[in-house]
Amino acid sequence: MMKKIIVPLIALLFALPPLLFAGGSQEQEGGPVSLTIAGRDGAYGDAMQLACDEYAALHPDVSFEILKLSGSSLFEKTVIDMKGNVGTYDVILIDDPNATQIYKAGWLADLDALYRERGLALDPDFIAPLTMLGRYPYGDAGTLYSLPLVGNVELFAYRKDLIEKYKLQTPDTWDRVMTAAKTIAANEPGVYPVLFRGAKGNPIVTGFLPLFWAFGGKVLVNDKPALDSPQALAALKFYLELAQYAPEGVAMYQSAQVKDAVYAGTGAMAIEVWPGWISDLDNPEVSNVVGKVAVTKHPAQVEKSSPMIGVWLAGIPESSKNKGAAFDFLQFLTSAEMQEKMADVNGMPPTRTSVHKVPALVEKYAWYPAQLDGLQNGVPRPRTTKWKEIEEALGTYLQMALIGDLSAQDALTQANAKIGEILE
Amino acid sequence: MNSINSKKNSSFYTLIFLPALLVILFLTIYPVVNTLFLSFFKYNYLSDDRRFIGLKNFITIGKDQVFRTAFLNTILFALFATVFEVALGIFLALMFYGQFPGKRPFMIMVIFPMMVSTMVVCAVWKVLYHYDIGLFNYILKSIGLAPVGWLTDKTRALSSIILVDIWQWTPFAFLVLQAGLNSIPREIFEASSIDGAGYFRNLRSVTLPILSSQILLVIMLRTIDTFRIFGKVYALTQGGPGNATETVSYYIYREGFSYFNLGRASAAALYVLAVIALIASFYIRGIMKEEN
Repeated sequence: MMKKIIVPLIALLFALPPLLFAGGSQEQEGGPVSLTIAGRDGAYGDAMQLACDEYAALHPDVSFEILKLSGSSLFEKTVIDMKGNVGTYDVILIDDPNATQIYKAGWLADLDALYRERGLALDPDFIAPLTMLGRYPYGDAGTLYSLPLVGNVELFAYRKDLIEKYKLQTPDTWDRVMTAAKTIAANEPGVYPVLFRGAKGNPIVTGFLPLFWAFGGKVLVNDKPALDSPQALAALKFYLELAQYAPEGVAMYQSAQVKDAVYAGTGAMAIEVWPGWISDLDNPEVSNVVGKVAVTKHPAQVEKSSPMIGVWLAGIPESSKNKGAAFDFLQFLTSAEMQEKMADVNGMPPTRTSVHKVPALVEKYAWYPAQLDGLQNGVPRPRTTKWKEIEEALGTYLQMALIGDLSAQDALTQANAKIGEILE
Repeated sequence: MNSINSKKNSSFYTLIFLPALLVILFLTIYPVVNTLFLSFFKYNYLSDDRRFIGLKNFITIGKDQVFRTAFLNTILFALFATVFEVALGIFLALMFYGQFPGKRPFMIMVIFPMMVSTMVVCAVWKVLYHYDIGLFNYILKSIGLAPVGWLTDKTRALSSIILVDIWQWTPFAFLVLQAGLNSIPREIFEASSIDGAGYFRNLRSVTLPILSSQILLVIMLRTIDTFRIFGKVYALTQGGPGNATETVSYYIYREGFSYFNLGRASAAALYVLAVIALIASFYIRGIMKEEN
């Protein structure tokens, strides 16, 4: 009797999973579709929620599951899922430093092919350098794997009231930044002249690179480390001198500390701010510096202003079971109308030229012209699959120089050697 | 007949035990064997680049200054955190063995840190340690002392994280030891008191020897746990400033989940496994000795 029950049960147990997976692997044509989005938390997550709600209202047959994840968790989850060809996610957000690795692995759907299938073309309204970041190999000729969603670019913020008060020149070169820092240090005891992120790894590198590039430094030349140049040494020495005018604990400063100091008015110049940090600068409920802070492109030095482009991209995993529906949503998500709404409601920086010129947005976000300039003329991180490791190594040695463990020369020599090992 | 029954029983128990054994093999032995296997390869999970390189991962990691620092930091962390947690745990257990007014609410307060998630604990301590607005520096400044870079000064950062761990996990040591203490019949203490032993003599000759197996257990559990320290480093310092708070688990995490260098991460994990196995073997030897 027991056998009669147990044997069919065991047979069912073995037969069920393949049946379930077989059912799940078929792309749904027509009918209700559920799209799973692997996105970011915070303001970007809110913006994604807004877009999904709007899309679901227009297309009642499409529903969404949105995962709002931290940057590292998003990377881990999406990599493990795509590598295993599981197909959990239909649209994923990709941070620019991780993009090259993901493109090279071939885990994303070819968007050029999907455009052709739909009889569409990539809208030239997208800021051109940003669409190049979505291609692999990098450049105009590569295959398109993702669309730029968040137009992040580093900007420079300074207290224009203090610059005017001490009759200083606008800090549009790094030398002028130093002069201003020294003057403010001597005259404004409650204000830190300079702010930046000094935490090791990505934060310190991201803050340092616009200065480094403006001094003519290069991290890689022909895929070889190039930190042993006089330009690199001059940049780091200058940075360390500037750091003397930063807060005591700057070596552990993250975005929250920089943002807090800018909003509180206790920082005179932030050598690195991102559009997402400053969207409430002129909101008197949270800001002590309404109308007092100018947000501009980075200072120049021997090279022109060199802000870092750090966009977030959106792509469709090759393993997605709803590529068609995901592509339609991606078009909606990156459309000018949706970008305008996300910029207005969530402060999300757009990736389209036209949205940067919407009068209401320019009035609300005075730095939009500088942001557009930065996105059009900024510098992307070196396009290598090893960037994360390189950034970590460079960030460690930079911080050791910042806390006085190593001289500028030793930090660069050791970072250069370590990057050489990584690239071997 | 008995022998047939005994064989039948033995087969029955083997059969019953088999599924559990298979699960254990799959969940513990397989990952260890797989980690050992991967450690002999240069293997990047993202690029699928996999090449057999023998012991090179172990040698490279052994020479890596960051790993060496991380290893030393981990040992220091495990040593100091465990010693203080166990010592304070013993002190608290002895204190709570007696009766005093407000014992219940005070006990809830004492075990509270253990019930809070590590990330929440770190968020609170990060604010307490803040250079400008933190409570500790506020106190220092209010008594005329210079503020301290609790997490930003390379000479203090590791001890600041150790302090957080002590705050959070001393209650665990306390609870285990208190349970051990409560299991000792009070007559033993009464008898030794009648024999003229004072409090400290009682403590040295009666209480601590009886509690020794619980103390050993807590030492082992806390050493293993502190040796795997990750969450606090991740949330408070991310290994900085410089490499001052790098630990082996954080190193493994970065190699494995940031860079997806699974070969190197596996080799580093085996170093940790070796140390933990060594610690556990001391404990097991101690237990066996007691049993014998």
